[in-house]
Amino acid sequence: MSRRPGMRSWRAVSWRSAIWVLPAIVPVVAVLGAGLGSALLQSLGLMPLVGSPVLTLDAYRAHAGDIATSAALSVAIAAAATTIGVIVGVSMALTAVAGRRAALWAGTVTVPVPHLIGAATMGLLLADSGLLARLFGLSEGGWPALVGGRWWIAVVLEFAWKESAFIGLVVVAVLTTRVAAYDETAAMLGASRLARLRLVTFPLIRPAVVASATISFAYTLGSYEVARLLGRAYPEPLPVMAIRLFNSIDLATRPQAAAAAVVTAGLALLAVAAALTVLRRSAVWR
Amino acid sequence: MSAPVIRAAVGRAVRAALVLWFLVPLVPILLWAFANRWPFPDLLPQQWGLDGVRSGLAAGAPRAFVVSAALGLTVAAIATPAGALAARALDSGRVPLPRLTEAVLFAPLILPAFAVALGLDVLVLRARAPSPVAVVAVLVVAAIPYTTYLMRVAFGAYDSGYEDEARTLGASRATVLIRVQIPLLAPALSGAAFLAFLVGWSDYVVTLLIGGGRVVSVPILVGSFAAGTGNSAVVAALSLAAVVPPLILLIVVARAGRRTGTRT
Amino acid sequence: MSTRLEVRNLTRRHRGQQVPALDSLDLEVNPGSCLAVLGPSGSGKSTALRLIAGLDTPTGGTVLLDGADMTDVPAEKRGIAMVFQRPLLFPHLSVIDNVAFAGRAAGLSRSASRAASRRYLDLVQLGEFADRAVADISGGQAQRVALARSLAAQPKVLLLDEPFSALDSALRSDMYALLKSIRDELNPTIVLVTHDQSEAAVVADAVAVLIAGVLEHHSDVRTAYLRPSTLAVHRLMGGLNEIPGRIAAGVHHSELGSVVLPADDDARDGPATLVIRQEMVRLVPVAAATLTGIVTSLQSAGIRQRACVRVGTTSVFVELAPQLTVAVGAQVGLELPTEALHAVRAGP
Repeated sequence: MSRRPGMRSWRAVSWRSAIWVLPAIVPVVAVLGAGLGSALLQSLGLMPLVGSPVLTLDAYRAHAGDIATSAALSVAIAAAATTIGVIVGVSMALTAVAGRRAALWAGTVTVPVPHLIGAATMGLLLADSGLLARLFGLSEGGWPALVGGRWWIAVVLEFAWKESAFIGLVVVAVLTTRVAAYDETAAMLGASRLARLRLVTFPLIRPAVVASATISFAYTLGSYEVARLLGRAYPEPLPVMAIRLFNSIDLATRPQAAAAAVVTAGLALLAVAAALTVLRRSAVWR
Repeated sequence: MSAPVIRAAVGRAVRAALVLWFLVPLVPILLWAFANRWPFPDLLPQQWGLDGVRSGLAAGAPRAFVVSAALGLTVAAIATPAGALAARALDSGRVPLPRLTEAVLFAPLILPAFAVALGLDVLVLRARAPSPVAVVAVLVVAAIPYTTYLMRVAFGAYDSGYEDEARTLGASRATVLIRVQIPLLAPALSGAAFLAFLVGWSDYVVTLLIGGGRVVSVPILVGSFAAGTGNSAVVAALSLAAVVPPLILLIVVARAGRRTGTRT
Repeated sequence: MSTRLEVRNLTRRHRGQQVPALDSLDLEVNPGSCLAVLGPSGSGKSTALRLIAGLDTPTGGTVLLDGADMTDVPAEKRGIAMVFQRPLLFPHLSVIDNVAFAGRAAGLSRSASRAASRRYLDLVQLGEFADRAVADISGGQAQRVALARSLAAQPKVLLLDEPFSALDSALRSDMYALLKSIRDELNPTIVLVTHDQSEAAVVADAVAVLIAGVLEHHSDVRTAYLRPSTLAVHRLMGGLNEIPGRIAAGVHHSELGSVVLPADDDARDGPATLVIRQEMVRLVPVAAATLTGIVTSLQSAGIRQRACVRVGTTSVFVELAPQLTVAVGAQVGLELPTEALHAVRAGP
């Protein structure tokens, strides 16, 4: 922790302080524990809707191939969207700090847009009869299938669109508070603009970029509505598969839905573990 | 052309491209919301009108609006104080197992909300708990990482010297709270409340899974129309209703933050 | 590293402000010499430094290095290094990598730049700290590393913006000694901004006094003490004695009587204030004195004492030699050596 006025260097751990975190901790532990625990138990057959609990991996094995395909698709979409989001977001942050803040305001406007609305408007923009197709004057067949097409382009673009604003805003915060003074210092040591980006700016924003990119990646992995609205029927990303199985009339698919949900959660945790190992090596980690 | 001139032109081009990137996707809902007839391949609606708005109103938009607002406000009302208290405790440095506490409080950010809702649905049904309560509970948990983090940053920048000074001037603990701490923290608190409100207002999946069709928020309404075809006008009108209120709130919160002069 | 620095008519006016932050500054710094820029807060010292460094653009005037105009040259290409009040060591680099930064920025490999910078780290006596993390060293050590880092850039001019003001006095003396050894070894041209006149006296060859953006005095250190251009400069240098009066035919007439001004002083007729350093006033036996007075108060200034002696209606401050003691109320004789006298024209 950085030194602040009025802060003593040695603090006694106090259980009374623990009371202040309870209003936040208790709901989180209860909801996450009950929700994910229940999903896990259901997927293992230990919480069946009818009949007695029997520990089994049938739910995972039933559509193992499909689960694998869906997982691969989810990860690919998340990776593509996060990569674009990082490039655009960091560019936005750099232009905002260098001078005019037009890009920053434009990015901020997208923050209050719910993802579902984002999906709806991207659909209206990118569909065969969408605004862009009209703008380019391409009739049916001339416009590539961005919505519901093979490459899930509309889905990736919607996620990238929202994520770039999020990542950009996080990076701007770090740039304005921590990096400005170091940039001048580096200039006084003879570093050109490019050298300053490479040697000072990028290393200093790396933790923030990794953190916000990981959060975005995990969110995209677990997102339902965007893929449902802008994607195609098959293959399906994991959340779409899980909810389709959940809503099906055949109650036997409930455990399979839970299995897909558990796999998604597992992938998200893996992503965070990977990010933490990357961050721990950085000297700037708080 | 000299290097600085080229650099300035490139900078302007990049900024323009970024502005287009962020704002162009919002244009369709602005146009479609007020389009009565807009056949392909016309560039602009053939006939402007309020048919989409009317359909939206008839489909239950006002009620959905109230539901969404209630969701947002309730989540904000619960998640903001919880996050602020937790942030204060963590900032004091005297919480036992601080790393674990932080990890738990940030877990909702990365764990998929649909998985939690999916698992919780069975339990909610068995406990015969009212679905709105369950939806609020899950959304509060989803919002807590945002409120905690924002308040953490605020407390980090906050100088307890102000409190000490106030007390040497004779202020009681209550007075210090009301006249010093809360005004100094107000911008951060309103920012945190705004983010929590946004979590409640924007949610689709949790409301869908646990609400079981009984909780009809604006995103749910939009979703039901968007799944079909030929509903572009209604979808756009409802989308505007979903975007404009939080946007207004964002402007209000940003202005309030700037006026007090403290940066969050 | 010995370059001639010249500043002509340097002006900086902030947007919407009537009074310029810096008004037509003219300065020369000879190669290898050290100029201290002295002034109260807000006087424009840091502004001047930033303009010389190229971090801000002047509203008017030029900066010249060895005669070359630096107006269109960006900060990173000027070859001017600057040490700020805060060390600002890059938190993501170790100590040696910080010092090696200029080398890396110039394109050297990591090992080559590290090897080249060891010399400078040794110069500031922190050779064993090379692999430490920035967070693990003290404030004084960090400031020394910042100095080494700027020197490793082999700048034409070294600018120091109040670099020692955050350090305690013991550390500060160490830093003055360090600066002297750096000057002996590398002979750089230095401009040091400070608000402490004693620091300027210890470290610099010449002093420039800036008050409210205007250069009011520029000379070597001794002249700045003994022959300040204005009363404001005199006070800034810590002078306490100001006796108003008139000059007529090379003689200053005042409450203290008539004193002959030194031959090299400006002795035109007219109103003028007589100044003399409290350290230069001598106490003599009353019988042999031309000027006598009563000691009204004694104040400690370190180990010495400063006496306030009332003569008629004016007061003269005298800094006493350590072994001398006087009692309050005693009558003493004063001698004002002619070479120590100086007349300042009317106006503060």
